[in-house]
Amino acid sequence: MNTDIERLITDFYEHDYILNEALATSIFLLKNLEKPLLLEGNPGVGKTMLGKTLAAHLDTPLIRLQCYEGLDVSTTIYEWNYQKQLLHIKLFEQDTDKKALGNRIFGMDYILKRPLLQSISAQKPVVLLIDEIDRADEEFEAYLLELLSDFQISIPELGTINAVSKPLVILTSNRTRELSDALRRRCLYHWVDFPSKAKEIDIIAKKLPNIEENLASQVVTFIHNLRKSSLHKPPGIAESLDWAKTLLLMNAANITDELVQNTIGSVLKHKEDVEFVKNKTVQEFLYPIDS
Amino acid sequence: MQEVTKTFRERLIDFTLYCRERQFVLGPPETRDAFEIAERGYFLDRKLFQYSLKAIYCKRKEHFDRFDELFDRFWSRYYEDKLAQQKAAIKHKKKEPDTATVIFLGAKFNVPKPPREEQEAKETVGANESIRLRMTDFSKVDVTDKERLEELAEELFHQMSMRFKRRMENGNKGQIAIRNTIRKGISKGGMLLDLTYKRKRKEKRKVVFILDVSGSMDTYSYYLLRYVLVLKKYFKSLEFFTFSTTLTHVTPMLRSNNEQQILREVGKNVHSWSSGTKIGESLTEFLGSYGSKFLSQKHIVVILSDGLETGSVTQLQEAVRTIRRKCKTLVWLNPLKGMQGYQPIQKGMVNVLPHLDAFESAHNLDSLLKLEKLLMDV
Repeated sequence: MNTDIERLITDFYEHDYILNEALATSIFLLKNLEKPLLLEGNPGVGKTMLGKTLAAHLDTPLIRLQCYEGLDVSTTIYEWNYQKQLLHIKLFEQDTDKKALGNRIFGMDYILKRPLLQSISAQKPVVLLIDEIDRADEEFEAYLLELLSDFQISIPELGTINAVSKPLVILTSNRTRELSDALRRRCLYHWVDFPSKAKEIDIIAKKLPNIEENLASQVVTFIHNLRKSSLHKPPGIAESLDWAKTLLLMNAANITDELVQNTIGSVLKHKEDVEFVKNKTVQEFLYPIDS
Repeated sequence: MQEVTKTFRERLIDFTLYCRERQFVLGPPETRDAFEIAERGYFLDRKLFQYSLKAIYCKRKEHFDRFDELFDRFWSRYYEDKLAQQKAAIKHKKKEPDTATVIFLGAKFNVPKPPREEQEAKETVGANESIRLRMTDFSKVDVTDKERLEELAEELFHQMSMRFKRRMENGNKGQIAIRNTIRKGISKGGMLLDLTYKRKRKEKRKVVFILDVSGSMDTYSYYLLRYVLVLKKYFKSLEFFTFSTTLTHVTPMLRSNNEQQILREVGKNVHSWSSGTKIGESLTEFLGSYGSKFLSQKHIVVILSDGLETGSVTQLQEAVRTIRRKCKTLVWLNPLKGMQGYQPIQKGMVNVLPHLDAFESAHNLDSLLKLEKLLMDV
């Protein structure tokens, strides 16, 4: 394995994130090719956590933009500080040079920087996490194109603002809607899948050092077999961790039917899924799986 | 920077073309990035090179799932060619091989290779090949073309879904939304600087698909089902039924975003696949159980069937007539219509034709893609 990749995997491991070689290569390229990385995958597989860990690994600030329907320029890029502008106009209303006054109030001092502008204005490269981009509108995707390809933002009154330092951009999507080809073309891509059994046991052991190996193995086997069933929402790694934590709190040594009945709510979030599991015995989910 | 041989550069371009022919969306920026990583020497480590190209060339999960296999298939052939060349060179000229290339090609590619001529012929897929596959009747697709048709269908359906989305999103800004404009103005001292508009979106349509999954439709049902899955999110409501001898309401199985999971679910829960055809009975059952809920003057009904009725023709005619009366538009898609010389002379089809707004073929990818216009314009 390439030494840089190996070092990346080790560093991330120290920050409690277990990378595989392919994902580590994508992170490596994100840093070296300076291209945004689009991560897609089911909810709860660790996409957002990857952005946080990258920031911790580089010891740089994380700027996170949580997307939702209706996001626009004023909440993501910049907004004029109208109160400050009005105050300035009041203060200098006697000033005869109106053109100079106009130029002053449309300067950088009167701009409220929102996450995207903040990220390209920082002196040191920051990690910009654009989370759940699939929740935002297509118009917002179009705003992003300029930033993602050229690391610049155009403000009509000021012209083009180039990045002082190029941020490391990570976009995440749960595929609730299809993203445009234009956005995809500008990004590196990685599909974050559910981890293998061995890797998931490692993750649990890393996050919960007190857990018995046997219990961690049972939790992962159960969850992996659950994922093979037709559920509305298959449990992610976050759910595995939550459940392991719950079982640990209850001092469980093994998973029993009674424990499943009482704690499955921390794993499954749909009534039909919960009923599906409650109608079965624990042994039906503890048959051996390929790691 | 690592020196990259001309042969390797050409090979890398070939690989880009090879992926592009397999519906990867690759342009000059991707090729440039691939060259950049090669020049950085990543190609000396096979895994690093593979994963780097994977991150650059893949743009969707479907690409991601197929990439490793394509990479192995392509570069293992290169390895074997190189190895053969090296053997020949050693034999005839006793010349040292290119060491850098040897390291990169380290004995990790072990996929057996078919005869070169045969393989090249198979892999040279251009525009003509795509057109040929688009025009090929689903029932006549042979095993060798099946995989390519799958890839092509996936890409073309994706493109169609993007077109649908754009059309649905297009619309003018409409009137100013006073309430939202005032609310936005509060943070600016009450000045109405940003205007908010009431967006007029095209109203999404309601559609009901009724798919024949009987034995005679076997080869078509799978592609028609996938076609319907692509459309599901672009209609205000989409109801999906399958029938052969009995009717099944499939819509509740379409909730997942994962197409493979849906196909598994449908395969598991629809028990009448590949059995006989009772169109009239099934449509009557649809009218009785679901008609009041899913039929109105806002609904488009699309029946996908070959019309080879084994039950009562009168019942079929009556059911189709009633459906037509209760819905806005009734479309019948018949895969047999694409066959040369086909005439709708079977009793079933003859009797229902007068009640249809459109009677179209649905036997190959091209005919399915043409339906897009029909569905959008209704």
